[in-house]
Formats: sequence, C-alpha cells, structure tokens
Amino acid sequence: MIQIARYLTIDLLKNRAIIGSFLLFAAIGWGLFFIENQPEKALLMVMQVTLLLLPLITLIFSCIYYYNSYEFTVLLLSNPIKRNAVIQAFFIALSVSLSIAYILGIGLPLLLNYPSVETFILLVSGNFLLWIFVGLALFISTKVNDKVRGIGLVLILWAFFAFLFDGLLILIMYQFGAYPIEKLILLLTFLNPIDISRISVIMQTDASAMMGLSGAVFVDFFGSMKGLLISFSALLLWVIVMYAGAVRNFGKSDL
Amino acid sequence: MISINEISKTFGKQKVLKSINLEFKKGECVALIGPNGSGKTTLIKIILGLLFPTSGTLSVNGRNVEKSVDYRAYIGYMPQMSRLPENMTVAQVFALMKRLRKDVTEHDTDVYKMFDIDGMGNKALGKLSGGMRQKVSAALAFLFNPDILILDEPTAALDPVSNENLKAKISRVLAEGKMVLITSHNLSDLDGIVSRVVYLMDGNVFFDKSIDELRSNTGEERLNKMIVKSLTPELV
Repeated sequence: MIQIARYLTIDLLKNRAIIGSFLLFAAIGWGLFFIENQPEKALLMVMQVTLLLLPLITLIFSCIYYYNSYEFTVLLLSNPIKRNAVIQAFFIALSVSLSIAYILGIGLPLLLNYPSVETFILLVSGNFLLWIFVGLALFISTKVNDKVRGIGLVLILWAFFAFLFDGLLILIMYQFGAYPIEKLILLLTFLNPIDISRISVIMQTDASAMMGLSGAVFVDFFGSMKGLLISFSALLLWVIVMYAGAVRNFGKSDL
Repeated sequence: MISINEISKTFGKQKVLKSINLEFKKGECVALIGPNGSGKTTLIKIILGLLFPTSGTLSVNGRNVEKSVDYRAYIGYMPQMSRLPENMTVAQVFALMKRLRKDVTEHDTDVYKMFDIDGMGNKALGKLSGGMRQKVSAALAFLFNPDILILDEPTAALDPVSNENLKAKISRVLAEGKMVLITSHNLSDLDGIVSRVVYLMDGNVFFDKSIDELRSNTGEERLNKMIVKSLTPELV
C-alpha cells in the first residue's frame, strides 16, 4: 500500500491541476494580505475563500483522478494485491499531494504574515477538510461507475455543504428564533465539516462579537480549549467515516 | 487451470452472462470472441476478480477463488491501457510492479527487451502512443512468468513486426505448457496460435470448438472464415 501511495504521490505532485491549485492558493494567500492592511481581516477573507474553494477543488480533482486511473487500478488488482491496499493508496496519495499544495500555497503566506492561533486552526482544519473531501470523492466515485454522474453528484454535495446547509440552519434559526435553540444549532453545525472549520476560526477572532446570542453560546464552546478539541475530534471522525465508506464501497463494488 | 462453473452476472435488470460453464486447460490458447456486448469483458473481469459473479463459482488450479487474491499470482493480464496516471514514467510503473511482486525473483524479460521498454523508460505514460502503451502492457503481463496469460486485444495497436514478435512469444509460452486466453476483434492476427475458439453471444456460449474441429467442419484454413462459416452455415 505504501509503495503504491508513494508512486501515486510522485505522479500527483507533477500533475498540472495540483500545481495549478498550489498557484491559486498562493495567489489568494499572498494577494489578500497584500490588499488588506489588517491581518485579522485578511485571514477571515482567506478563510472564506479557502473554505469554499478547497472542498470544490478536492472533490472534483479526486474524482477525476480516480476515474482517469481506472486501467491502472485494474492493472494493480490483476496482481495478488488486496483491494483495500489500492483504495488506501489513492486516499493517502491524494490527501498528501493536496495537503502539500494547501500548506505551501495558503499556509506559508499566513504563517509569515500573521502567525497566530487563528492561522494554526485554519491550517489544521483546512487539512482535515481536505482529507474529508478526498474521502467523500472516493466514496462517491467507488459507488458510481459513471464518471459524469459521479462528478455531478460531488458537485451537488459541494453545493449542499458550502451553501444549502447554512441556508437550512438560518431558516431554522429564524423560524424558531423565539425558542432557546442555540445548543441545537451548535449540534447541527457538527453535521457540516465546513461549518465546524469556519466557526472554529471565527471564534478565535473579534468577529465573533458580531454573532449575537448564538455567537455567545458558540464562543463559550468553540472558544475554549475543550471545544476546540471536540471540534477537531469531530473533523477527525468525519475523515474516518468518509475513508471507511470509500474502503467499504471499493471492497464490494464491481470495477 | 481455470474452471468456470455456472457463472451468471446481472447488471440491474440486464443478464450479461447466463450460467456459463467453461474449462481452460494447460497448453491451450483460447480465443474468446463474440460481438460487442456479448459478455467477453465481463467474463475476463470475473476471472480477474474485478467483478463479482451473481451466481456460480470460479476455480483456478483446482481451488475455489472466492474472496481470495492469491490466485492472481498465477495470472498475467494485459489490459488495454488508456486511463493511467499520466505523469508516471514507464520505468516507475515497472519499479512499482516489481516492488509489489517481491515473491517473484526470476523475471521473464523477453517481451521487455523485444519491445525495448528500457528505451522508453523516462517517458511519462500520458505521452505514450497507443502502440507504446500496448507494448508496456504486454511486457508487464509476461514479466512475472505467470502460468495463465489473459490478453485483451493484444494486437490492436501494434505494428506488424511487433505483432509477429508477440505472436512468436505467445507460441513459446504455449510450448512451455502455459495457458493463454485472448480476446480480439482482429481474428487474422490470431491465426496460427489459437487452439480453441469460444464464441459468446448474448451471455451464452454459442459454440466452443477446437481449431481442428472448426477446420474439418468448415473446410477453411483461415480463422476468420472458419468463424463466419460456423455462424452462418446456411449462407455457404
């Protein structure tokens, strides 16, 4: 498994899309700090852009790479190699190469311009998001054999996690605004890894003061060390669930 | 060597293979042919463990291979390579495969040398032409000295010289007692090496005859004509 992952990673690091993602991340990371004088505001802008772009790039690229490596997968599996080893290698190689593009592209300008707790949280949760969405992309592409349908499905899921879920939360908050639903909302945010990451970062900044009563409950939770550990654990759980789903699908599916 | 017992495969409502029974023995060179959608690829994928049969069993060298991967050590597969990691070099593919198959110490490098794979070692897979990919695929199939060779359209993109060289190599491994299963649309390429023809149609074995049987039944020498006559005797 390690050998396959190693060779796939070498292939991926030379891939134009990975290099392009790195350049895009670098342009966002350096560019926003260049045009915005207040580093904390720049960080929030970087966060908003990356939390939208990172899952999108990860989902589409991982899907396309998996589908485009079909014959290679078949070639590997025509040898006495367990299926698990092959899908694990894909997961590791995609996660490692995208993480390198993210850490060098976004991480470097952030650490140099604004070395802070918020930066650290954004980098860690960004990496968690990356692994979660690599897992989700592999989960879908191992289930759906048709490339076009697979990519269509991950795009819908991206829209769900990036916009629709928040829309639903806001709807619930408005409809049931008269009730003490802050804790329920807090629980519901754990169903969306992008929200977990976003709130974990925002709660470390002054912007949290603008979030009203639910913000106060959130600051109480996410602002503490314990809350941070719980949200990182939740992200880790997301990674494990997605990864396990992809391994399970791949083990059972017709190729 | 390979024993296929009552194997069926259904995709949704479509029955692609309908209770197929076949037995492939040592030293045989079997041509698996049939029209598009007849179930050839499905059958090969089931033999390789890429597809799970809906019912029936598969035995390789006398052992039922359900949920096992070890039997694939006996099989060399030459796929049609079109979708591959495009920046991986040819040398890296061979290095990876050798690392994965540390159980094999003696490599069969005949095809590797014959097609001068070393000469294209630094080329990325994405930059190879169709014929070059085919050569890499063939060299990999023979590399680990397998007892069973499954060749999917082996001569589709090869130049005439490489084609003849590959046929000569296939004849040599057959003489060593190995088994070869070939699928091809280009029947004239298989002339002289095939000893048995299995014709699939609509998921059934339409006929399964030795080349001698076909020859005496049809009175033809060329494989192409034998097949055509066997399919449409009323036209002759």
